[in-house]
Amino acid sequence: MASRAEQHRLRVRYGKDGRLAYLGHLEVLATINRSVRRSGLPFAVGNGFARRIRLQFSQALPVGASSRGEYFDLLLTDRVGEGEALTALRDATPAGLAPQALCYVPHRLPALEAWLSDSLWRVELLGEAVPAQLGDAIGELRCRGSLEYLRGERRKVVDLGSALRDWDVDAGGRELAIVTHATNEASLRPAVLLDAAFRLMGLRPPSLRVSREAQWHVGDDGSKLDALGPWE
Amino acid sequence: MEKPTRYLDHEWGACEDQEGPFHACLIYPDVYEVGQPNLGLAILYRCLNAQEGMSCERSYLPWVDMSALMRESGVPLLSLESSAPVASFDVVGFTLAHEMACTNIVEALDLAGVAVRAAERDEDDPVVIAGGPSVWNCEPVSPMFDAIILGDGEDAIVEVCACVRDCRARGLARRELLLELSRIPGVYVPSLYDVVVDERSTRWGYAVPKPGSGAPQVVTKRCVADFAATDPLPQTIVPYMGIVQDRLAVEVLRGCARGCRFCQAGMTYRPVRERPRAQVVEAAERGLAITGYDEVSLTSLSTTDHSGCAAILHQLNADLAGSGVHVSIPSQRLDSFGVEMAAEVGGARRGGLTFAPEAGSQRLRDVINKNVSEEDIELAARNAFEVGWRRVKLYFMMGLPTETDEDVVGIASVAQRVLDIGREVVGRGYKSGVSVSISVAVFVPKAHTPFQWSAQLGRDEVIRRQRLLLASTHDRDIKVSYHDADVSLVEAVLSKMGRAGFDLVMAAWRHGCRFDAWTDQFDFQRWLDAGREVGVSLEGVASAPMSLDQRLPWDHTSPAVSKGFLKREWRRAAVGVTTADCTMESCTGCGVCPTLAVSNRIEGVRDGK
Repeated sequence: MASRAEQHRLRVRYGKDGRLAYLGHLEVLATINRSVRRSGLPFAVGNGFARRIRLQFSQALPVGASSRGEYFDLLLTDRVGEGEALTALRDATPAGLAPQALCYVPHRLPALEAWLSDSLWRVELLGEAVPAQLGDAIGELRCRGSLEYLRGERRKVVDLGSALRDWDVDAGGRELAIVTHATNEASLRPAVLLDAAFRLMGLRPPSLRVSREAQWHVGDDGSKLDALGPWE
Repeated sequence: MEKPTRYLDHEWGACEDQEGPFHACLIYPDVYEVGQPNLGLAILYRCLNAQEGMSCERSYLPWVDMSALMRESGVPLLSLESSAPVASFDVVGFTLAHEMACTNIVEALDLAGVAVRAAERDEDDPVVIAGGPSVWNCEPVSPMFDAIILGDGEDAIVEVCACVRDCRARGLARRELLLELSRIPGVYVPSLYDVVVDERSTRWGYAVPKPGSGAPQVVTKRCVADFAATDPLPQTIVPYMGIVQDRLAVEVLRGCARGCRFCQAGMTYRPVRERPRAQVVEAAERGLAITGYDEVSLTSLSTTDHSGCAAILHQLNADLAGSGVHVSIPSQRLDSFGVEMAAEVGGARRGGLTFAPEAGSQRLRDVINKNVSEEDIELAARNAFEVGWRRVKLYFMMGLPTETDEDVVGIASVAQRVLDIGREVVGRGYKSGVSVSISVAVFVPKAHTPFQWSAQLGRDEVIRRQRLLLASTHDRDIKVSYHDADVSLVEAVLSKMGRAGFDLVMAAWRHGCRFDAWTDQFDFQRWLDAGREVGVSLEGVASAPMSLDQRLPWDHTSPAVSKGFLKREWRRAAVGVTTADCTMESCTGCGVCPTLAVSNRIEGVRDGK
């Protein structure tokens, strides 16, 4: 079998759409694993006992959130043309998780999950308009710094100073945009932020439709790097 | 709401074109992740969808959170593929998977807004049918069904649907349609039978055809004679969520003739029909490519009995090497060959190895016709530890006919012996990691087995023997677990009752029973309350023996195993005489082959012990 260095690192951008937004992260992983097997691409298999396909994913999406920019890296034992690989994967993947674009990326890049740190989210309020004070409430929360919340039974804390990069509230409209930054310690889910902001305003948190619009890497110099390059 | 993926549909491989004009909906009466892997339903789904003009969809019972939400919002039970109300289908079919699903069927019909009792259905209501492994005493649930298919459903379900379609086209009334259905071989129409209670019967009586109905005295099961001609790859829907058997399944053989006297499947799935080796290998490899699964299971009642088992495993392992695909077999034979095959598929690193000696003494194993000797168990255990296994799991049953305290203590002795062998082979001490776990079920007498006349052991006595077993187990490396005596009691009641038992099922449902097979949902008190309400003592029913000359509540449905054979086996059991497997030795005269004009189909030579 080809050693890791002889393998080819194919990066795939895919969406999570429609009813498949309700898949949990592990369900997405299992489905893509099976799609890769069905595609007939020369995927590499790990040397561990479980012999898993060499696949890495970007950060988990919350259940119910859709996305236009999820990524996985797949190691191939042979270099297949990018167009051919995209067609093979598309034909083998349920439409709601369809691959949109792909390219080969250098081996030296860190693992996707840590590297793709920033996300742009679009949040739609269902059935009501965005309250005028929402932007201020989010600002107030960020000033306070850490946000405590419950995930199931577990108490979690996220530092909004680092996790919440930006927000754009269209008062009176239906939508807002949020930019988050994930660290090893914590990442911020838009629903958690909105929930806290509505409570701060003394309002009942509304139903939301959350979508991840994009993910990117931020370099040491603060520059934005797209997951699909370009690479020198 | 928990696990929304249960309700998503549009999985890879689902049949999206559902144009009809004839529409059937098959329902597994449990949640999606339990029902989706069911191979029987997958087979029928495929058979119906392959028919010109027939469409088949699936439905499962929503979990309690979802059904509460649906009732609150006035949404009825829907099909998965097209989200159409189940009540709008021409035919609605249920899998009778096991007795404990009975309240779930009531729940599904109620949620669907279909009259629960067949007698109360109108002309326009769907024809509600059932089939599956648990049809062999279907009397307690029979009032819910317009028709029940006995035995292999591949051909029968198509005939049933065609009959419904044609009768509707001819404008026949429901009553006439049911008469037509009863003319199809293997189709039992409960409403065409009267239940007679007399001095020859048990309290539940027996069923006789209504005068003038022309329904058969005895409905004999359907049987696919040429198993090799069936589609080896019926299950090609790939779920999004983790399901209970999350892998590709290829049915490598049907039927088992080992003749264990407690085993209903062993009696009702005869004769033994092996799928040809090459067909199994081809289907497994094609199935993996289509579905993308990384595991294929070679399923059957006794896969290691397939005459080509070793060759199939060698071939698959060779062909699939390096692809990260794992081959598995569901059960191991209790001998060296079983261990060899287990090593072939998984190697010792994959958890523990499971064997089923079923009883703790040679005497009792002879009574139940589990043709396994002390020596077999010891050799298999030694073999397993030598090949690298460290954990061995042993399945037993408690409360088998003629069981004494000695047999119960014998369970502990077998476990200790296996553990000692493990320590002898691997070494003693904590680091050796040798352990034995024993799992003890409570024997439930099942219809159409040689033990159908038996009583179930009383609940208090079950608990006393469970304590005795615990007290007899002295080693900390032996772990004992046993089935809940209350669940087993309800199962026995459902297995032994006649048609009037439906009142108990309805009362239990009204008291809130559903998902009774889920330990966290089962509520014994509700069953007791239901029993009190309808005047049925659960324990009284379960522990009532039946006599050999009585007419039994299920005598009018037949898996083609003759009652004479069952009686003979019951008598042989009483004196501890075993009966051989007819796929390895000569015919035992069970009656299946001549009655159905079929025979065992063995590909090569079976390697008996």
